[in-house]
Amino acid sequence: MGKLLRTLLFGLIGAGIIHISVVLLVPHYSDRNAWSRISAYGNDWQFHTVTGETKPGTARLAFDPLFQAAACRFDITDLPAHITGVGTLPYWSISVYNRQGENIYSINDRTAIADQLDLVVATPLQMIELNKSKPLSAENSVLIEADMDEGFVVIRSFVPDESWSEQVASFLKNANCSPLL
Amino acid sequence: MLRNVFLALVALVIAVGGGTMSAWYAVNRFDGFGALAIGQWTGHPDAGTPLSDPYAKARAAREGAFPLGSAEGLAFYAYDDDKGAALDRRCTYSLSGNSPNSRFWTLYAADRALLPLDPGSGRLPALHSRQILRGEHGTFVVTVSPHAQPENWLATSGSGRMTLVMTLYDTPVGSNSGLVDMTFPAVTRISCDG
Repeated sequence: MGKLLRTLLFGLIGAGIIHISVVLLVPHYSDRNAWSRISAYGNDWQFHTVTGETKPGTARLAFDPLFQAAACRFDITDLPAHITGVGTLPYWSISVYNRQGENIYSINDRTAIADQLDLVVATPLQMIELNKSKPLSAENSVLIEADMDEGFVVIRSFVPDESWSEQVASFLKNANCSPLL
Repeated sequence: MLRNVFLALVALVIAVGGGTMSAWYAVNRFDGFGALAIGQWTGHPDAGTPLSDPYAKARAAREGAFPLGSAEGLAFYAYDDDKGAALDRRCTYSLSGNSPNSRFWTLYAADRALLPLDPGSGRLPALHSRQILRGEHGTFVVTVSPHAQPENWLATSGSGRMTLVMTLYDTPVGSNSGLVDMTFPAVTRISCDG
């Protein structure tokens, strides 16, 4: 009897250890996370339309039907990323994610400067340089310090009705994501 | 001797089987801790941020979603009506009351995996706060139904369980200032088909 109880106890402790290690390891080994979704859209340093449909094997994206979105992935090891967009829309917002898909910074049109989409994502080291001498092209940019190498941004925009669809699509299409020289 | 080997095997089976099953369940079904529940609505202000707990992180890594940032908005989900019964796509529900502070909100019906339902051709997939009709004190009533309804109608179709998703955009609700009026519309079942 005592042996049976000990067996059960060992089994449960083992189950606990496996449970914890699986849960902690999933984010590192998952091949269907946000980063692989973004990578499947196409090249880096370029905005791609975010769609709900994806290739088989990956989960469909749960997404507000009244929104359109575009995503751009980048690597800021060498140069900061400069994201710009021009247009007047009912609402837009942008989020910066790290490679693990964690949201590290977000702003919307009201919190941006003069309602314009213009931001620079830089590493702490690049930030020191930027604070010393800001390039003319990034004069009015919102500067975001992010301690990471690879990451991505997602711009979301509200489409209140069909008549806005074209304007929102062109805003997202013309949004620019490039290294800040 | 053989008995000991057998017991060791049993322990191993419990450990590996139980560990993987519970981990699978936690990753696929469990939303993580730190939920903000108001009435029938729950939201996860920490979801997708570096502050979220390991369960929420594991789940996010499997879904590959881009969660809304704190300056963007916060999604709230209703799985049950005010009697505690699961929401059904064949039933008609009324959402009445007011919404918390936000610049605007959207409302749509989704399945258990939170994918928006297709209500059929020519019907709006979602409603937003700038198009709905309101009563005299700013309150509103939205009828969620597979059949056409007067005033604010959110169309559904098909059968099975559903989730109502109300996303508040540009809202202070996620911050814990305590100054926000947390009123959410109550979800009440009116009738059911079949």
